Amino acid sequence: MPRHAPPSPRPHAPVDDQGLNGRGRGWPWLKAPIGVALLAAVLLSVLTAFGRADLQWSAGAAALILGAGLVAGWRFGQGPGVNAGFRRSSDEPPTPPPEEVQTYVLALELAPNPVLLVSAEDLDDVAGRRVVFANAEARDLLRIEREGALLVTALRHPTVLEAIDEALFGRIPRMLSYETGGAQERSWRVWTKPLPPNARHPRLALVIMRDETDVRRNERMRADFLANASHELRTPLASLTGFIETLRGHARDDAEARDRFLIIMSRQAERMARLIDDLLSLSRIELNEHIRPGGQCDLSLAVGDVLDALAPQIAAKQVRVEFDLAPPGAAEIVGDRDQIVQVAQNLLDNAVKYAPNEGLVRVSVARNLTLEGATATRPDDARQSARSGGRMPLLTPARNGAERYALLRVDDGGPGMAREHLPRLTERFYRVEGQKSGERTGTGLGLAIVKHIVNRHRGGFYVESAPGHGAAFSVYLPMTARAMQRADTLLPTAQADAGLSHEPRAA
Amino acid sequence: MSMNEHTLKFFGEELGQLKAEVARMGGLAEAQVADAIEAIARRDVAIAEDVVGRDRRLDGMQHDIEKKAIRIISLRQPVAQDLRRTVSALKMSSILERTGDYAKNIAKRGLIIADAEPLSALTRSIERMGKLVSGRLKDALDAYTNAELDRAMDVWQNDEEVDEHYNSLFRELLTYMIGDPRMINSCAHLLFVAKNLERIGDYATNIAEIVHYEVTGEEIVGDRPKWSGMSGPAKSEPAEPEL
Repeated sequence: MPRHAPPSPRPHAPVDDQGLNGRGRGWPWLKAPIGVALLAAVLLSVLTAFGRADLQWSAGAAALILGAGLVAGWRFGQGPGVNAGFRRSSDEPPTPPPEEVQTYVLALELAPNPVLLVSAEDLDDVAGRRVVFANAEARDLLRIEREGALLVTALRHPTVLEAIDEALFGRIPRMLSYETGGAQERSWRVWTKPLPPNARHPRLALVIMRDETDVRRNERMRADFLANASHELRTPLASLTGFIETLRGHARDDAEARDRFLIIMSRQAERMARLIDDLLSLSRIELNEHIRPGGQCDLSLAVGDVLDALAPQIAAKQVRVEFDLAPPGAAEIVGDRDQIVQVAQNLLDNAVKYAPNEGLVRVSVARNLTLEGATATRPDDARQSARSGGRMPLLTPARNGAERYALLRVDDGGPGMAREHLPRLTERFYRVEGQKSGERTGTGLGLAIVKHIVNRHRGGFYVESAPGHGAAFSVYLPMTARAMQRADTLLPTAQADAGLSHEPRAA
Repeated sequence: MSMNEHTLKFFGEELGQLKAEVARMGGLAEAQVADAIEAIARRDVAIAEDVVGRDRRLDGMQHDIEKKAIRIISLRQPVAQDLRRTVSALKMSSILERTGDYAKNIAKRGLIIADAEPLSALTRSIERMGKLVSGRLKDALDAYTNAELDRAMDVWQNDEEVDEHYNSLFRELLTYMIGDPRMINSCAHLLFVAKNLERIGDYATNIAEIVHYEVTGEEIVGDRPKWSGMSGPAKSEPAEPEL
C-alpha cells in the first residue's frame, strides 16, 4: 500500500439538494450530529467499497472529523439556534457536502507536522489505545502501516503516553518535549488535547507533534563550537604571541631569525584558519544531519576530481596512487556533491599524509553492492589476522534490503594503528599517540566530518588497520535508483568492474 | 466496557494486549536508560533521582505481564506462533526489568559522581557509548513492536561497536586512575557505568534474538561477528566477490 499517497480528490456521490441547501444556510449541518454521523458512515462505506486501502485512512478520518467538528460546532456555536439545531434530532438532517469534508481531511493530511487521532477504551487496556487517524507526516515518521494500529507500536515514550492518557481519560490538554535516540537524534514538542467523543469512538485525543531538532541543535552547536574553538585555537595563538614577543625583543634585528619566524607564524595562522573552516563546516553538516540530501553525484568522478586537486601533495611526497574506479555514471549515489567531495578529500588527504614517502596509496570505487557486500572483509587482507588490529565499523546504516551501495575505499600503506584507537577515530580532536606528532597539519576534525556527512547520506563507514599494515578507510553510500537499474541491465555482476582499471593520472 | 466483554475478548486480542504492554514497558525502560545517561552527562541530580524512583514501575509492569502470560498459557494452551509470542513476552519483560535495574544503578552512581570533581572528558566518552547503546535498544524495540526480522538481525550483528567502546573506555579510565589517585573513586563508578551500558547493549542483542525466535520459531544459528583480530575473520558475513 502506498503509504504516502494523499487521499485522491476523486468525485464522490452526487450532492443532494439538502446538502446544497445546508451549505447555503451557513453549515447548519454542523448542528445536526446524528445526520452527520450517518453521512460519515455512508462516506466511510462508500470509500471502503472502492477497495482502496489508502482511502480507508481518509474515510476513517472523515468520520472522526465530522463527529468532532459537529460537537465542537455545537459547543462553541452561539445563540439558541445552535442548541435548537442540536435538539432537533428527529428532523431530517441536512447533509454536508462530501467534497468539503474531503477537503478538510486533505488539509490535515498535507499538514507539515505529524498529526494523530488516538482512541481508547478502558484505562487498563493498553491494547485499546489505537491510532484511528494519522496524516502523511505521522505515518512516515512513526511508521504506522494501517488505520487502527496499536498506539504503542508508533509511540512508546512514557511521558508522551502519559500525556495521551490524560487527554483521553482526564480530558486534560498537555504540552511536552521529548527526544528520540538512534543514529539521527531528533527532538520533538508534542501537544495532546482531548477531543469530544463521537458515535464510533467514546474517547478520543488529538496528538500534534513539531520537530524541534533544529532549534535544539542550534543551541547545542553554538555551545560546542565556542568550547571547541576556544580550546583548539589557544595553542596556535599562544605560539603566535610567543613569536611576536621574540620579534619585538631580542630577535628585532636578526633578519635571518625574522624570516624563519614569519614562516612558522604564517603556518600557524593557516592552521587556525583551517581549524575555523573545519569547525564551521562540521557545525553546518550537523545542523542538517537529520535531513537526507536529495541530489545525485557520481562517486568515481568526485574521487577523480579530488585526486587531480591533490596532485601537488602527491608529487611532493612522491607517493604512487593506484586506482580502480567504477566507470563514470555507474557509481551514481544519492547525495550532495560538495559534501561527497569533502568526504573523498578528507580520506585521500589523510592517506597521502600518512603514506610513507614514495609509498603506495590504493583507491577504489566499487558499486552495486548489498550491505553485506559493502561491509565484507577481504580474505587476503593481512590486517584481519594481525594480532592487535582488525576491522572496526565507525558508522552502520539502518538496513534497507532494497538499497545498493557504492563503496569508496582508500588504503594508505602507512604505519597503521592499534585496535584501541579505531573506535575513537571519529571523535573530534582525537589524536593517535606517537603518530607523526612532529607535523600536525590536520585539524583533528577530518574523520568526524566524514562520519557526519556519511550519516546524513544514510551510508556506512569503517576502518581496517593494524600496526605496520597501514589503514584502509571505507565509505559506502546508497546508489540512485537509476544507477541501480543500469547496473542490473548492463552489468549484472559486481566483478564486471574489476577489469576497468585506470592508469594513475596523478604522479 | 464491562467485565463481560472482557472475558469474551478473542484470544488474538489478548495476545495483542500482551505485546502492547511489553512495548509500553520497553518505552519506559528505554527512557530510563536515556535519562540515566543524561544524568551522568549533565551531572543532573534531579533526573538521576527520577530514574531511581521510576524503577518500581518497571517491576510492577513485569509482574503484570508475567501474570497475564501465565494466564494465557494455562487457560488458552497456545501452540505454534501463539505460544512463541506468549513466551517472548515473558522473556522480554524480564530482560526489560533487568535493563531498568542497570539504568537505576547508573543513575545511583550518577548521584555519587555529581558530588565529586567534574571529569568532562570521561563523561563525554560515557555519553558517546550511552548514545550508541540507547540507539541499539531503540532499534531492538522497534524490531520487536513491528516484528521486523531485518532490523533485529542488524542489531544482532552490530554488537562489536559497543564492546569496542567499552574496551576503549576501560583503558581510558585506567589511564586516569594511574595518573591521579584522587580520581579513583569517580573513575571506579564510571567503570561500572560503562560495564552496565555494555550489559544493556547485550540485552538489546538478546531482544533481537527473541524477535528472531518469535517470527521464525528458530534460534539464530552461527556466531555473532566479533573482533576479527581476536577470533579470526567474521563468520556471519558472507565473503562476496570484491570490487
